[in-house]
Amino acid sequence: MTIQREQLEADVLIVGAGPAGLACALHLANLIKTHNASGAKPELSAENIYVLEKGREIGAHQLSGAIMNPKGLAELVPDFKKSAPLDTPVTDSAALFFTEKSSFRFPITPPPFVNTGNYVVSLNKIVKWLGEKVEAAGVNVFKEFGGAQLIYDRDGIGGVITEDKGIDKNGQPKDNYQPGYELKAKITVLAEGTRGSLTKELVTKKKLDNINPQSYGIGIKELWEVQLGKIKPGYVAHTLGWPVPSSMYGGGWIYGLSSNRVSIGLVIALEYADPRFDPHATFQKWKANPFVARMLEGGKLIRYGAKSLPYGGWYSMPKNYFDGGLIIGDSGSFLDSQRLKGIHLAIKSGMLAAETTFEALKSGDTSAKSLSAYQSKIENSYIKKELWKVRNFHQGFAHGQFSGFINTAFQQITGGRGLVDPMRAHAGHEAYKKINGAPAGPRFAGDGKLTFDRLTDVYHSGTRHEEDQPCHLHVTDLNVCATKCIEEYGNPCQYFCPAAVYEMVKEGAGQKLKINFANCVHCKTCDIADPYQIITWVVPEGGGGPNYEGM
Amino acid sequence: MKILVVTEHRQGKWNNASFETLAAAQQIAGAASGSVSTVVLGKGISAFTDELASKAVAEVVPVEHDLLSDYTPDGYCIALKQVIESAKPDLVLFPHTYQVRDFAPKLAASLGKGMIGDCVGYRSEGGKLVFVRQMFQGKTVADVTFLGAGPWFASFQAGAFRADLVQAHASGKAPINAVSVQLSATQIRIKPLELFKEAKSAVDLTQAPLIVAIGRGIKAPENIPQAEGVAKAMGAEIAASRPICDEGWLPMERQIGSSGQTVAPKLYLALGISGAIQHVVGMKGARTIVAINKDSNAPIFEIADYGVVGDIFEIMPALIEELQKAK
Repeated sequence: MTIQREQLEADVLIVGAGPAGLACALHLANLIKTHNASGAKPELSAENIYVLEKGREIGAHQLSGAIMNPKGLAELVPDFKKSAPLDTPVTDSAALFFTEKSSFRFPITPPPFVNTGNYVVSLNKIVKWLGEKVEAAGVNVFKEFGGAQLIYDRDGIGGVITEDKGIDKNGQPKDNYQPGYELKAKITVLAEGTRGSLTKELVTKKKLDNINPQSYGIGIKELWEVQLGKIKPGYVAHTLGWPVPSSMYGGGWIYGLSSNRVSIGLVIALEYADPRFDPHATFQKWKANPFVARMLEGGKLIRYGAKSLPYGGWYSMPKNYFDGGLIIGDSGSFLDSQRLKGIHLAIKSGMLAAETTFEALKSGDTSAKSLSAYQSKIENSYIKKELWKVRNFHQGFAHGQFSGFINTAFQQITGGRGLVDPMRAHAGHEAYKKINGAPAGPRFAGDGKLTFDRLTDVYHSGTRHEEDQPCHLHVTDLNVCATKCIEEYGNPCQYFCPAAVYEMVKEGAGQKLKINFANCVHCKTCDIADPYQIITWVVPEGGGGPNYEGM
Repeated sequence: MKILVVTEHRQGKWNNASFETLAAAQQIAGAASGSVSTVVLGKGISAFTDELASKAVAEVVPVEHDLLSDYTPDGYCIALKQVIESAKPDLVLFPHTYQVRDFAPKLAASLGKGMIGDCVGYRSEGGKLVFVRQMFQGKTVADVTFLGAGPWFASFQAGAFRADLVQAHASGKAPINAVSVQLSATQIRIKPLELFKEAKSAVDLTQAPLIVAIGRGIKAPENIPQAEGVAKAMGAEIAASRPICDEGWLPMERQIGSSGQTVAPKLYLALGISGAIQHVVGMKGARTIVAINKDSNAPIFEIADYGVVGDIFEIMPALIEELQKAK
């Protein structure tokens, strides 16, 4: 069946309404406004900028700690302090070391953990606020529409096709069937966030990878309302040690927000050896450390979420420009993995992409050659300056925390060069060791007050999907799960997924993989961490996914 | 401007959207000092014709033919093509019904003309008629217009215009000008069978006073009749938690929980349900909750009024036996 699709043409199509995509849209709209006001030709219009957002509303899929360095926002919206939902400035930055039963504060907080001048924010609220500005500028933001397929054009892209709506679980059209739109654009900006599904396809197909593959971590977060006085607004702490094994890279966070709310979470690099390691359970155990447990006692879980984040940095940055398109934000590896900060870099990358796009629209040349200006803008901006200093940081932890800190020390005194430069990295899923018949232990259950099982947490993510639709987690060969993976790795998908999407269920004498896709919080961990790389995350019907209100 | 409105009826009843489209046509014609004709196809349609003649239209065109007694896309296309070729309207309007979706694009194509489907409005822009249709599930609207010569084809979404605004005929009755069409049985490639309606879901769990719900503890679809036996003995409806419906062991409409139904029966018997919060939010309003589960730590026991830690496969037969004795 050939599908008749409606076509729309835009000047600029931005896939994803996160901080990067919205910054790109807003900055471009502002540039166009000034340009038109000056009477310069050709006349451009902000209405020809389209933004796609797969979430129910702008911000619905935004998840971060978050501590924000305000410098990106200050450039984008100079008077941002008047109206941005900044929540609270950082007042105290602590680094803590955890054992199971105790904790102590490092007498001097290491520089990467010092956050003076930064703000504790809800990224959801920041992005919602930014979205209002973008829409007020005349840009069309299409909510509940995901970019499902790339339209290839020249040696790059010429737009995207949005997802088909109203398809039942067997792939048949329902009464409300609506084929996806064919959105063609002079310039398509991929701003899909971490492990973007279109970005992944494009980077693979056009061989845009840098010398290192992208490395990822998974961040798991809970937002709590605690008893009065248990948390100071603006208090931020990063924790090292228990329960993260020293062979792994990861740690916890505690960020005090206003109104007795606290953001807590744990990030773990997705490159560990034990295929049965359970990041969600590890986070729950972390909460049982008395320092955290005392803080949460008598409090209430408000919301839960999880998301992967790109750790790779400068040497993992794909080639971010090509004929007819650019990559920005997390999709383009704009994240400082040492400070775990990406919001300001996402905004900056979006603004630089907007400037590049603006020039290309004026000249009419949207070729890779014309868009390569984006790369030089990055090189000459603080993006390069910040990422270059930590270009080998994450790779230094490939052999655990001890050698990691030694590497970091050398990098600190050599401007990032360290002992080896560039330090190479391997794809995280290659780190798994085989289980060799070792039996699986019991799963973490939680006490239902301080600690929770995954289903309870998923409930608090507000996740919903239309149930009668095809599964959006494509597994190329289910036999691999039932025969090979079960033997070799004990089906790690059951453990790394923070939303209980994957489970092995009995079938006859053996087991088969069951995919509870409706639980999916769109973190992309499965696409990243599957040992055989046979899971592909694609966009579900628009509007599906978590509701990260206030996260 | 000459406008032709194609009306729709089935089994002796109007599709009311026909009059919404007629209202739209009257408004368009009123602004453009045009005229509106209406066409109705079928067999034995004099009542329809008379009703149309009572409206403010220039003429009513009934098209009677044995082969039009049941709707077929071939019959409608061939007949309407002849009507359009002789009446030469500038604009042909339809209500955007399932039937219209079926034949109207084919009709327009057979005349080599374009069609704008599912419009929600129109406006005149410098004398040119512009149609408005929704895109992105109503999040934005697009203006669409015709290029080239008419006749043009367009359909209006149900509810886009008000049927009660159709103007009545000033002098009581519009002229009726029947058109006969050439139509032979060999031209019709479709044979309509009996009409049927998809059965509405037979069960309304929200109204059930007694519910027996099963969860993963039921283990296999072969065991479901046992639980249904309990439900039958109690006079209760059977329901389930998500995994059961997910597997297709029971239909979706029997699913209780955040992605299914929310119920508040007098008695809720949970068999082998662990009590994940997603399920609990759909049934915690039950007046009395009885839970049977092997795992004494199952969260269902936190909200159950009566709990039995045990094997449902031992308890279900005993329960059926006792219930039957009590009758």
